[in-house]
Amino acid sequence: MSPFSQIITVTLWEFRRFFKPKNELIGIVVMLFIFSIGFLGGRYAASGEETKSELVVADNTDEYLISMLQESFEVTLLPADETGKHIGRISETEEGKYLQMQGDTFLLHAWEEPRQLGTLKGILDEYDQLRNMEREGVSGETLEKIFQGASLEETYFQDSFRRNRNIVAISFAILMVLAVFVSFAYQFTAITGEKQIKITEQIVSAIRPQRWMDGKILGITLTGIASVITYSIIGLLAGMLVSQFTGYSVFSVFDSLYFPSLGPTVMLFLLFTILGILFWNAFLAAVASLINDPNNSGKTSFMMVPILFVVLSLLVLNNPDGTPAVFLSWFPLTSASAMPVRIAVSSVEWWQVAGSFAVLALAFYFLRMLASMIFRFSILMTGKELSWLEVFRALTAKTPGKFQPPQSE
Amino acid sequence: MKAMNEKETVLRIDLLNKRFKTVQALRDLSFSVDRGDIFAFLGPNGAGKTTTLRILLDMIRADSGSIAWYFNGQQVSLPDPPLIGYLPEERGLYTDLPVIRSLVYLASIRGMQKNEARTAAMEWLERLDLADRANEKLMALSKGNQQKIQFISSILHKPAFAILDEPFSGLDPVNQEKFINYIRELNKQGMTILLSSHQMTLVEKLANKVCLINRGESLFNGSMSEIYKAYGNKHMVDVTFENAVPVAEIQSFDGVESAVGTDPGTARIVLQSGTRLAPFFSQLAGADGVTHIRSHSRNLHDIFITLVNNHQL
Repeated sequence: MSPFSQIITVTLWEFRRFFKPKNELIGIVVMLFIFSIGFLGGRYAASGEETKSELVVADNTDEYLISMLQESFEVTLLPADETGKHIGRISETEEGKYLQMQGDTFLLHAWEEPRQLGTLKGILDEYDQLRNMEREGVSGETLEKIFQGASLEETYFQDSFRRNRNIVAISFAILMVLAVFVSFAYQFTAITGEKQIKITEQIVSAIRPQRWMDGKILGITLTGIASVITYSIIGLLAGMLVSQFTGYSVFSVFDSLYFPSLGPTVMLFLLFTILGILFWNAFLAAVASLINDPNNSGKTSFMMVPILFVVLSLLVLNNPDGTPAVFLSWFPLTSASAMPVRIAVSSVEWWQVAGSFAVLALAFYFLRMLASMIFRFSILMTGKELSWLEVFRALTAKTPGKFQPPQSE
Repeated sequence: MKAMNEKETVLRIDLLNKRFKTVQALRDLSFSVDRGDIFAFLGPNGAGKTTTLRILLDMIRADSGSIAWYFNGQQVSLPDPPLIGYLPEERGLYTDLPVIRSLVYLASIRGMQKNEARTAAMEWLERLDLADRANEKLMALSKGNQQKIQFISSILHKPAFAILDEPFSGLDPVNQEKFINYIRELNKQGMTILLSSHQMTLVEKLANKVCLINRGESLFNGSMSEIYKAYGNKHMVDVTFENAVPVAEIQSFDGVESAVGTDPGTARIVLQSGTRLAPFFSQLAGADGVTHIRSHSRNLHDIFITLVNNHQL
């Protein structure tokens, strides 16, 4: 049986084991439903906020204040001599707000503290300031000058599309984080879980560790990519939904990319994402091989390392062409997410893109071999978990057979 | 002549050594398995059996020694997956997946076409009265039935050489007998079998060759007839008494090599080679309180215990 067929068999097994189209579809529908509820609910809530709250004001109040209040409240005037009666009504009906002026003091009566108290206080403060300035003899023209804002002429050298580019870049990074999270969960099941159910010994009697490891990495990478695609579809559908309601095309963010069209950008993003997921899966597979029990292993936290580096790559957004950003976009632990971010927010030369991709590919090639080596000597360790020192000794042993694992029959 | 031997030999290991941190797991271990053998690989717990099997399958590496496999006239260091079947001592299958799916996957890793694997799996499930549970998750099956599934997974792809580590554990006597017949049948169909087990009575029904190891060292390596010839020629008598066993009195009888109490009220007596039974029984009849006497030749179990107990490193 050829190595290729064995790898493909394991790859498809892992993919079919973890990727459930029905569940993904249900996920999309549920997400859309939740998004729709949230979106429509938000709009409804926002529309509610536009409705002005009612405020009853004594008719002997200064007209200027009344006009100021009318901007934020539905003002009803009430004869000042009916004040006592109205206050009694508020007490009986347990609702309503009544404002009256007594000299320089404002009196507010309400059943409970109004939600718009802050707004009301702001208006009253402003009115009070104006009244005091008038008393001090400041003319209307002077007042206008005082309240006129500073004159500012705005000229930006950075083009106005930066925000859109950042949105695209962060979206790319989020998708990568999602893929890594998915891989994180499945690698535990696929490797640590198999160690726990003790099937590994039978499997590796049939398949070389490197082929088995390659199949696992490929299969779970496929699952991760499928999840990325699923979430991308959810994002696109949500974008279409937003466009329907707001008239604003969410997809216009892609218009501001440096690459001449969306196609090459998406293609580059996919290439880096696929290779990045492969790279991180090799890393996660190596760590998962060392863990016997996820609940009691200190090495479990290492499974979070990829997330750390993906988030770190977002530093590129600050200065996409600075030295740190260039380094991050070449360094294999960050390049899978940092280079797509740079591509999205800056103009990156083709040789940098190609070079970064080649370095990442090379790093993946060696990392999968490392994962296989770690798997090979940790496979039968069902008792004590290997320490990092033992891992190092095993990896640096001249011949694997000379490594003495802490286990004997 | 040498060429002919090599052609018939499927597996030859020479002077295998393996040391773990503080334990010498294997010490100059050598044996060979010929095509068509049912080779019993025996030893007490910790003798080095599983270590040897894992080295054979290249899961761990020996410190020294050589392993040679011979298939289709070619010597290889490790056979292709379709040629080998392995039932590990540490059982494990995908408990959360349907039985048939796991079986087809494991066979397809070993090179079997999926349709062919499915058909073969259903045939075996039928034979083991589990066909109606093919689509159930493994976890829903009893331990004994899980053991049957594990056995099927190791031989489903019809390997030329099957390594069965404790194939009878977890089985009731009825199923043990069935498994003996299945293993015989597979052997008749041309499958060479390396059998590792503690259940000597079952092993001696099957094996034609035996290698007995203790503390990583070979104590005997040869055919079953040779081991009986070398160690099984002495008569043994199991005697039950009403009260305590008069061990000292029995040891004084003519022809007695040894006498030990096995259970309360029971003694196992080993007679010297050539001892005639009639005079011995006359002496025994004089002992007080004998209720039951059973005379038999030394079986593999007795030989195993004797050899291991006598083995001094």
